[in-house]
Amino acid sequence: MHMHIDKIHLLGAIFSFVILAAVFVLVRERHLQEKYSLVWFLIGFFILVMSVFEGLMDWFGDFIGVYYAPSAFFGLLIACAYLLLLNMSVSISHLKTHNRALSQELGLAKLRLEELEEKVNGSGHD
Amino acid sequence: MEKGKTLIVIPAYNEQNNIRGVIGDIRASLPGADILVVNDGSVDATARNARQACGVKVVDLPCNLGIGGAVQTGFKYARDHGYDYMVQIDGDGQHLPGEVTRLAAAMAAAGSDMVIGSRFLDIRSFRTSWQRRLGIIIFRCLFRLLLGLRITDSTSGFRLYNRKSIEVLARFYPSDYPEPDAIVLLHKHGLAISEAGVAMRARESGRSSITAIKSPYYMAKVTLSIIFACLRTRW
Repeated sequence: MHMHIDKIHLLGAIFSFVILAAVFVLVRERHLQEKYSLVWFLIGFFILVMSVFEGLMDWFGDFIGVYYAPSAFFGLLIACAYLLLLNMSVSISHLKTHNRALSQELGLAKLRLEELEEKVNGSGHD
Repeated sequence: MEKGKTLIVIPAYNEQNNIRGVIGDIRASLPGADILVVNDGSVDATARNARQACGVKVVDLPCNLGIGGAVQTGFKYARDHGYDYMVQIDGDGQHLPGEVTRLAAAMAAAGSDMVIGSRFLDIRSFRTSWQRRLGIIIFRCLFRLLLGLRITDSTSGFRLYNRKSIEVLARFYPSDYPEPDAIVLLHKHGLAISEAGVAMRARESGRSSITAIKSPYYMAKVTLSIIFACLRTRW
């Protein structure tokens, strides 16, 4: 495994730094929860490691029996992206369920409030 | 129908032109029933028009939840206020309140926990489009195959529920296109389902939520959720 700098690896390294920095800032500013940042940090580090150690990618390609190593890398990234998207869909489903329950509770609570107000103000007028 | 025991739930989304007629019809045919309008985030005067009818309770949902979320609000209200029966009557005027007595008679006769008002049990109501009929036939086969139930009109929302069904559905009710799913759900909870032949009216104004573009999605989504509802072992 030898260190080797060419343009594409430099670009990969810069890109991964941008991701890591962005995730860091987003978490710090509370735009991204720690829970969700974890997987993004992992992806950032993964790209960083892959672009710094060129031999790693060839080794990985050999290991899974793909002759053109970069396509193994792409495959891996796409698989990661799918998992990430699945994770997002699950989160959205949870949010929708919670949001629905909250809206229903709010509607019912408003009706109760109206009824109580009517009782307090004496019946008849609204 | 005893006073204070039955709740009529009217889910309504942008039904300002129909809502008062529906409430009036219910008052005329079912004087003993309480009425709850669930205004599902309408952008028109649905809520205002409903409130003008005296004694009608109106729940305003802060955003549009879709038919499932709206009707479930009704189940929760019925559960929390101790109603023994609940009837869903859509805000578009399609369901005839006068037919509720048929549902009640069927429930008493069959001893079931939910009665579906079916347009196809005895044919005396209007004909729907062939696409819709095809869909309904497919669902009919699915129900027979998966549950061994004979359901002629699984998409009908015109239904009478007893206390047991109310309690189950207040906890679990599917979100979009909930009617066929709810059948599986109740069946899975060991509750009995029956049907009664009813007449329905063609809609007075507004359009069906299921358009030509949406209907393949509707079929796929409902089929999938029926199958999942059957496979689910934990609720």
